[in-house]
Amino acid sequence: MINSRQERIGDLFSYLFMLITFLFFAWPLVWLLSLAMRTRKEVFLGVSRLIPKSPTLDNFIAILSSDKFAGYLWNALILSASSAIGCLIVALPAAYAFSRFPFRGKGPWMMVLLAFQMISPLVIMVPLYRYMAKIGLTDSHFGATMVYIALAVPMVTWILKGFIDGIPRSLDEAALIDGCSHFGVFWRIILPLAKPGIASAFIISVIAGWSQFLVPFLLISKEALMPIGVGIFQYAGTQNDSSIQLLAAACLVSVVPAIVAFLSLQRLILGAMTAGAVKG
Amino acid sequence: MTNLSIAAETAPTGSRLAARKFYPSPAPWLMPLILVLGVFYLYPLIDVFRFAFTNISLVGNDEEYTLRTIANTLSKPELLQILWVTLIFTGSSVVAQQVLGLFIAQVVVRSEKRGLFGSTIVRTTALVAWVVPGIAGGIIWKMLFNEAPFGGLNSLLRMLGASPVQWLSDPNMVMWSVVISNVWRGTAFSMVVMYAAIKAIDPELYEAAEMDGANPWQRLIFITLPQLRAAILVNMILITIQTLNTFDAIISLTGGGPGRATEVLSLYTFNVVFRNYDLAAGAVLSILMLVISLSLALVYARFLPKGEPV
Repeated sequence: MINSRQERIGDLFSYLFMLITFLFFAWPLVWLLSLAMRTRKEVFLGVSRLIPKSPTLDNFIAILSSDKFAGYLWNALILSASSAIGCLIVALPAAYAFSRFPFRGKGPWMMVLLAFQMISPLVIMVPLYRYMAKIGLTDSHFGATMVYIALAVPMVTWILKGFIDGIPRSLDEAALIDGCSHFGVFWRIILPLAKPGIASAFIISVIAGWSQFLVPFLLISKEALMPIGVGIFQYAGTQNDSSIQLLAAACLVSVVPAIVAFLSLQRLILGAMTAGAVKG
Repeated sequence: MTNLSIAAETAPTGSRLAARKFYPSPAPWLMPLILVLGVFYLYPLIDVFRFAFTNISLVGNDEEYTLRTIANTLSKPELLQILWVTLIFTGSSVVAQQVLGLFIAQVVVRSEKRGLFGSTIVRTTALVAWVVPGIAGGIIWKMLFNEAPFGGLNSLLRMLGASPVQWLSDPNMVMWSVVISNVWRGTAFSMVVMYAAIKAIDPELYEAAEMDGANPWQRLIFITLPQLRAAILVNMILITIQTLNTFDAIISLTGGGPGRATEVLSLYTFNVVFRNYDLAAGAVLSILMLVISLSLALVYARFLPKGEPV
């Protein structure tokens, strides 16, 4: 009796805690959506118009139909997709080798890879900016993509190694004994079986690329080449209080693709990331 | 990831010779990775150290070697203030994220066990905040903290009859506003790590404790927390490094202001290099950041379980 009453009080507190937590995490995005769907007049009515009297999509239309924003979004897509593909090309063979090949100092090398992840991009951007300027790779998507790849590749290699570790070794050993080459094993056994891992690594690096700010902010100064992260920062700097609803719409437009990409593979991505974090 | 260790253990070990025959040098497989990291990480890193011993600036090419930059940069009076701000920002963000993340994970696990409604919604909402890019996060929170009628927090306070808060213009308040926005964006990571760690605790421990008549509070103190010790340490160090490197969420929220109230080390380094064009001083500050991060990484490595089959 006492026990079940205790449990019920516990349930009550759980619900209360979940409600408060939910409000804390949801409120900023709810507010953003509310502002983005208001007319200019309603913006100044504050929380009393949380649900606007005359909700409008005009702000989104204004943002999406401007050449500037379409360009920002397109550039962000190109940069994050091409860097995610580049990341896989670099990380997959390395992850295979780390998972399967016996070689000296493998553990320490994996730790070194992790240590790279701890270096702030700011540290390497200081000299990189100078080189890139010298060899003419500023204001180019190619240059920025290469830096994106370098920034994401240590984590992606860790995640992919974790997935490849989960593929039974007996499969590739059988193929090796039958005379299959390592490339054959990699291509015909590992890649097809690691598909879920590859998909989540791809999405993780797309999201990382989409969120990049520092690298494109420093390397790209031509407006036509800027991705959304930089574009929205510049845009926010030029806006004032009377166009806050447009800024809210622009912000939402820049955030939604990352959220959708994440939610599409949520379970896989979380599995991949926690495996890395908990295992080290 | 238990299946991986089983696979590794049951795999035929074979003789060393056979292993050699089957597994030639891994070099070609690692080459792309080594090249990319070498060109874009290692080479710039070496140059950061070289720059620190020069008086190089972002514009112009005639640098000379000197030790004065290091002395000057490290003895700047504002550096102490910057480090203090960084410590407050990082320390309170990390503690808040860890505590909140642990609580959410605990409540989510409990709710799943009791079949309560809503735990998935709470978890997903926190994760959505986590995916929001730093720059956008800063802009969103700037709208919430705004003191105009459309500020999402003050208009809420006013409706509840409370007096509005000067979130971003009060120098004593602004740091907590920045921490709140950072906790909003960062907590989901701790939540996910804590959730996985709680799930891994042997349920028999709780059953035994219940037999002995332990109340929920005692179960938390004597079972959950000791069992989570390793996960909490690892998580704390990971989020400390993440927070230390946070820069985009602050530049778009406060820009480091008012005054220098929220100018953390990474933002200061950025300003020194790209606003004052002082590359050499920026290199010294970069090394300072590196030293802090790497010493944390070493602490992290010490807490890893030993003898894991990599």
